[in-house]
Amino acid sequence: MSGNVIGVPAPAVQYRQLLTGAARFTNDLPMEGLLVGKLLYSAHPCARIISLDVETARSLPGVAAVLTHADIPGENSYLYHIPDQPLLASDRVNYLGDAIAAVAAEDEESAQAALQAIEVVYEPLPGAFDPLEAMRPDAPVVLPGYANVIPSALFECGDLQTGFAEAEVILDNTYYTSWIEHAYLEPEGALAYVELDGTIVVYASNQAPHRDRMQIARALKIPEHRMRVVTPFVGGAFGAKDEAHVQIHAALLAQATGRPVRIVRTREESILTHVKRHPVIVRHRLGARRDGRLTAVQIEIIGDTGPYENAGRFIMGFAASVASGPYHTPNARIESFAVRTNNPIGGAMRGFGGPQVCLAYEAQMDALAEELGLDPLDVRLRNALESGQVTPMGGIVREAGAVRATLEEAANNAGWRERNKIERQPAAHLRRGLGLAANWFIIGMGRGQDNAGAILEMATDGSVVLRTGAVEMGQGVYTALATMAAENLGVPLEAVRVIGPDTDKTLDAGPSAASRQTFVSGNAVLRAAAIIRRSLLETAAQETGLPIEVLSLKGGRLYAEGELLNYTIPQLAAKATFANRPMHADGYYAMEFPEELSTKSDYIGVGPSAFGTQIAQVLVDVETGEVIVEKIVAVQNVGRIINVGGAHGQMSGGCTMGTGYALMEELIVAEGRTLSDSLESFLISTSLDAPEIEIRLLEIPEPYGPHGAVGIGEPALMSTAPAILNAVSDAIGVRLNRIPLTPERVLDAIEGAKR
Amino acid sequence: MPEVEIQFTVNGISRKICTAPHRTLLQVLREDLGLTGAKDGCSKGDCGACVVVMDNRAVNACLVLAARADGKEILTVEGLASDGRLSHLQQAFAEKWGLQCGFCTPGMLMSSYALLLSNPQPSDEEIKRAIAGNLCRCTGYSPVIDSVRHAAALAREAGHVW
Repeated sequence: MSGNVIGVPAPAVQYRQLLTGAARFTNDLPMEGLLVGKLLYSAHPCARIISLDVETARSLPGVAAVLTHADIPGENSYLYHIPDQPLLASDRVNYLGDAIAAVAAEDEESAQAALQAIEVVYEPLPGAFDPLEAMRPDAPVVLPGYANVIPSALFECGDLQTGFAEAEVILDNTYYTSWIEHAYLEPEGALAYVELDGTIVVYASNQAPHRDRMQIARALKIPEHRMRVVTPFVGGAFGAKDEAHVQIHAALLAQATGRPVRIVRTREESILTHVKRHPVIVRHRLGARRDGRLTAVQIEIIGDTGPYENAGRFIMGFAASVASGPYHTPNARIESFAVRTNNPIGGAMRGFGGPQVCLAYEAQMDALAEELGLDPLDVRLRNALESGQVTPMGGIVREAGAVRATLEEAANNAGWRERNKIERQPAAHLRRGLGLAANWFIIGMGRGQDNAGAILEMATDGSVVLRTGAVEMGQGVYTALATMAAENLGVPLEAVRVIGPDTDKTLDAGPSAASRQTFVSGNAVLRAAAIIRRSLLETAAQETGLPIEVLSLKGGRLYAEGELLNYTIPQLAAKATFANRPMHADGYYAMEFPEELSTKSDYIGVGPSAFGTQIAQVLVDVETGEVIVEKIVAVQNVGRIINVGGAHGQMSGGCTMGTGYALMEELIVAEGRTLSDSLESFLISTSLDAPEIEIRLLEIPEPYGPHGAVGIGEPALMSTAPAILNAVSDAIGVRLNRIPLTPERVLDAIEGAKR
Repeated sequence: MPEVEIQFTVNGISRKICTAPHRTLLQVLREDLGLTGAKDGCSKGDCGACVVVMDNRAVNACLVLAARADGKEILTVEGLASDGRLSHLQQAFAEKWGLQCGFCTPGMLMSSYALLLSNPQPSDEEIKRAIAGNLCRCTGYSPVIDSVRHAAALAREAGHVW
């Protein structure tokens, strides 16, 4: 359903800069007298630092500064949630990504020489590298002063014992996922300098500029209003840049030297040091009647979160929130834990714990269908969540019509009911299969801080400046917000210019995370636009003598009940400005939680829901174990399509990333050491691996969404891996429980079934 | 370290520079000539974000020593538009959303450009092979493939090549 601007095909608003090379990413920003910043990272995953000597390094030519923990004026902590992660390690290191010293030098060679001249004597300590072992009482303490186990969520509803007693079939299976590297094309980076008035300025490839400002200011011990964070073009983020990387260190070096400093991680550093998607163990026990109706679900989720809590508690908490999937589960117990180890840090990545649990609940639905001899589609339809039902965490889903609708739409488009007619064995060594997976994602930060400001300004010629603190990282938020502004102000999309995050110029919009910005910043834009629109219409009413109710704005012109009047928006804008009517406005929106949406969860899982279904068709080579994804039918409810190219791009990108998650992506971590430290050893899909994807977007409006829209970025990926896993199971006739489905694992499964 | 002198053409302009012999074409383009369109995504030829066209062929600029570019013609993303007008290729990427974050885009454009130079009407399979060395984590590639196919059609309609 398209409006005047909404839903009308249009390029991304920043396309010209991106296509001409004019777009400046952090590493492209020109700066006179720039120092090269580098960090010295730990040589051991777990060790005591016996001594640290930086004097030689400091005395080398070309070296401007070498900082250690002793040189940090403020708090030596990332302060993401609790102060457990130091910016620069003092007495011990807890994973390979711990930084020990920060160097600034005149050039790359001098900076490298300084790193090599830093003398660190370590005493290696026994670490904890397996989350299940780390949960044992006798396990080594990963971080002194903190328990290894971080209980993240416990949701109970109904009566579990009665539920299992009512069950005619019980399935108890455990599912495993791997460490995943975000592999955005732009490694983390930041550029910091000191303004003449002493203000510290940081340009950073980030997702949460206002949180960055707080974190940096506290480390530098300066007031936040003396700190300015700007987000230039960001080359992908997928959750990892929601967490500080080198921006605090760059600012410390700029403060210490008074010179501009840029730190950009190498690809190897990026893989070795920054956060990854948690590998998760999901034990999923379900009970059901013979007709497929669920009577009880018991789920235990354990995520390896590395040494520091970071967002681990929230990610495992969110995983628990959505672990029952888009199904009505009257009797449930869901518990999740983040577990400290000396492995990489588990952090946010597209889906925030959702993809791991989606794999488990969707594999279980297929296992249940197989056990009962039912169609997997029917089992899902029988349990499909309905609007107004209470979920295990105690929240009510306000609009769930899309569960059934996406299941049916996907089934119809993939020929699901006729799937037995497909050629199952096109050659002696090939087997074909189809797999289905639905998903449930909750938009937003839950009951925590979840608000956004946006500033709109219409000039006297009718052109519009939109200032947003929402980070554009490729997901299309600038285009979505500009489209909504244009629609509501009656101007063409080209009349809107977007100014992105700069804490000196834009309001806090919270992070570009949780698929929330279209929703939250979108609503903020609508509120600001309403004020300016009112000014235009009041002016028009005065000019024409017509009642305001009959007037409307579209394509830069004024209409009365659909009839074009002889007034343009530039004329009205000029008149409204001179008549002292407000032509600029701040919009503020905070996520709304209706009273009935009470929940046991303080901070997660109570926002608007997104639902989707995907069906994968695969071909398995039973001699080599290779899996080829022939096609994915991906159906997602987006509430309202704001920009069709952007929405489709999120789906195709999500499905392709999900295909990699299912088949090839696996960061190999052994005893805390990441062995696959390049894009040559950690493989992501290339153009030759990407599946054919048929995309169907539904527009069942979300009651509180701007123009009915809900987020799509994370939901796009959720169903792909379980759909492929179920399709491979269908093809080879063996249930599977671990991704990625490498050729070795597929062959092992086939061999195992023969024995 | 003794420097080497390099004379080459970059985006139609003749350039002469002196540089240390170990420096790459990517470093010279970005640091000496201020052409930051080509990106450094891995520094070892795994990602393709640094692809430029050298004598009509796509190369990873991070794997080409600058001295090897002596006497060559280099085209970077900055040289695609003329007089502020986007080329068909750029226009097609805009219309088909062949870009999201845009970091892989300069390399993706230059690989596509080199393909269309030698093969103005490529099949989808040929497009996929031509961009197989350009990693993209955002689009899932199908919008990129659509863009290149669309660019070929736009050029055909306009009756000219790149």
